[in-house]
Amino acid sequence: MFRMRLSWAYIWMTIPALGLFMYFHTWPTLHGLMYSFTNWNGFGPFQWIGFSNYAALFKDPQVIHSYLFTFQFAVVTVILVNVLSLIIALALNSKIVLPKTFKALYFMPYVLSTLVVSYIFNYLFSNVEPSVASALHLTNLAQNILGTNWAWVGIVIVACWQGVAFNTILYLAGLQTIPEEVYEASMIDGASPWTNFWKVTFPLIAPFFTINMVLAAKNYLQVFDQIVALTNGGPGTATQSVAFVIYTNGFGGGELAYQSANAAVFLIILILIALLQVRVLQGREVQL
Amino acid sequence: MKQETKLLAVGVTIAGMVVGCGANTNTNSTTPNSGNSTNTGSAQTVPQVQLNFLQNKPEVVTQWNKIIQEFHKKNPNITVKQVNPPNTDTELQADVAKGQVPDIIAMGADATFIQMANNGIFKSLAGRPELAKVSPSYTKMLEAEVGKSTPFALPYTANAVPIIYNQTLFKKYHVAVPTTWNQLIAVAKKIKAAGGTPFYNGWKDSWTIAVPWNALATNEEPANFFTQLKANKTSFTKALPTAAARMKQLSSLGNSNEFGTDYNDANSGFANGKGAMYLQGTWVLPVLRQANPNVKLGTFVFPATNQPSKTKMVSGIDSLLALANSGNSTKEQAAMKFVDFLLQPAVATEYANVAGMFSPVKGAKMQDAALRPLQSYITAGRVVDFADHYYPPAMAAGDQYESLLQGALSKNQSAKSILQQMDTLYKQSAAHE
Repeated sequence: MFRMRLSWAYIWMTIPALGLFMYFHTWPTLHGLMYSFTNWNGFGPFQWIGFSNYAALFKDPQVIHSYLFTFQFAVVTVILVNVLSLIIALALNSKIVLPKTFKALYFMPYVLSTLVVSYIFNYLFSNVEPSVASALHLTNLAQNILGTNWAWVGIVIVACWQGVAFNTILYLAGLQTIPEEVYEASMIDGASPWTNFWKVTFPLIAPFFTINMVLAAKNYLQVFDQIVALTNGGPGTATQSVAFVIYTNGFGGGELAYQSANAAVFLIILILIALLQVRVLQGREVQL
Repeated sequence: MKQETKLLAVGVTIAGMVVGCGANTNTNSTTPNSGNSTNTGSAQTVPQVQLNFLQNKPEVVTQWNKIIQEFHKKNPNITVKQVNPPNTDTELQADVAKGQVPDIIAMGADATFIQMANNGIFKSLAGRPELAKVSPSYTKMLEAEVGKSTPFALPYTANAVPIIYNQTLFKKYHVAVPTTWNQLIAVAKKIKAAGGTPFYNGWKDSWTIAVPWNALATNEEPANFFTQLKANKTSFTKALPTAAARMKQLSSLGNSNEFGTDYNDANSGFANGKGAMYLQGTWVLPVLRQANPNVKLGTFVFPATNQPSKTKMVSGIDSLLALANSGNSTKEQAAMKFVDFLLQPAVATEYANVAGMFSPVKGAKMQDAALRPLQSYITAGRVVDFADHYYPPAMAAGDQYESLLQGALSKNQSAKSILQQMDTLYKQSAAHE
């Protein structure tokens, strides 16, 4: 009887949140999925056209290019962000002066809005960097990187500068779960710092590595804000990510149904990647 | 029109600074002096007519209030209430949905206007004497955009795409204003040889590339280009080889960082003497003067061809006047009275001058010395509309063709390749219609 009442209480507590989630998230998703089988342009009447949108996606050079760009960008950024944030976390976790101040300082970029960060970097790239480079007679660098074929590197720099902060915090939390005794034991065995890291620290923070990889991959595959603020997809279509194409062509270009199909395909790809990551990485985790 | 939207955004900032101290910006109503003694006798017999006037430019709210006040002095029985919401097109769509269309509307010749004109929202002005008071080339331009031979609006201000130049730098490099394409390139090469930057391009924002593209393409397009294009009888590749090649020349004579410089950076850079010529529309002049009040600016017609007598200037309608098709004849007559008031040369001159635009109203005078070289083209009607107003919506929306030009020019692709890409994009976009 008591158990029954308790579960009803839980249900009543869950229903409002579930309802809101279904209404604002699941329902629009299903709605979008429905439109992906039509030729709707955002207003007016529409017809059902089956899988034509999906078939057309695989022949659209702009869409294919956006997938290639997004994967290239995500792979590079995920690796860089994780390497850098692990190094910073190790440094912050060692015996340094003012540990709390530095931890707060390294978390600052994450507090700022991505758009604000991107606009500031936009200014640095277009005004400060070229004038510094020309003062140093580095004529090759005296150009706004965002206007060249290397524009994607500019976006990687901004994404890393901001993204490292969050992953650092997660790694720091992971490092603090490792008990001091483990290190004492390895010290007695005469392990070098290098062996210490690879044989003790890294396996023990492996769960955090998994979650960081999954979160970073998800974030950078969906890159959008940085691109809008830095290049707007340019030069030409060079830095158009999948999310950017879905948004600009779907709403601005009257391709609402077509880009809904693109969004559905992208959703499936994201889910598959996340599942794959969890499977591969969780196999490597160890428990104390 | 994209240029105007950007201008509007810039304008909001300026208006914020100019109007910020004192005047209230958004909804302004100016009621006539009801205590007027000449009015008391007839006031009972002539009922008050209240008109809503929607206009889309925040930078000219004060000027409109001034005009409305003068109108009230002469027409005490009509009250005009100015409405200037932040997002005029959305507001207008909502008004139409509610069945409360403003009595008089001043807006750009944009997609919203075209859509509404086609749906009978505005009163047809066919046969009205007001049509004789404005330049017929702009009335025709409006009809062409709507796609019907009925005048649904009167043009009130117009912009243009010339080449803006820095007079001080032209003197420094000892070059004269060119009138043909070959002269323009000769001038540019001379400036480059002397160590200067001929064209200051802000091509990181892809829409800015559309400005010279429109000037070149409209002058090369054969008659009926778009009908032929639709019928698959011509293509960008066949019709515009020179325009594409010339875009490449403009790019090669631009600043070294042209694809890394955005519109705002280009404005401040050009205003501060970093380049001799600027490929932008007249809407940028107030912004340049704000960036550097001492800059000596001049304009000349974009020499898109080698035959000066055949060159046409790209010019679009910046503001038009339309009346609601309300069916209420008292209101419609009162609204027409207001339009007649606005079409007086003195009123039109002052308004166009404050807005930094040309006036297609007959008898209006251009007062901005920098724009004077272009006036004869406006008066003579030697103007063409922006070519991209006739591109399929999917081609112009989301900066599609502008991005294409940006990508191709930044990678230094051949003129042929640029045009082939334009043809592919056109076919894709036309298929969406």
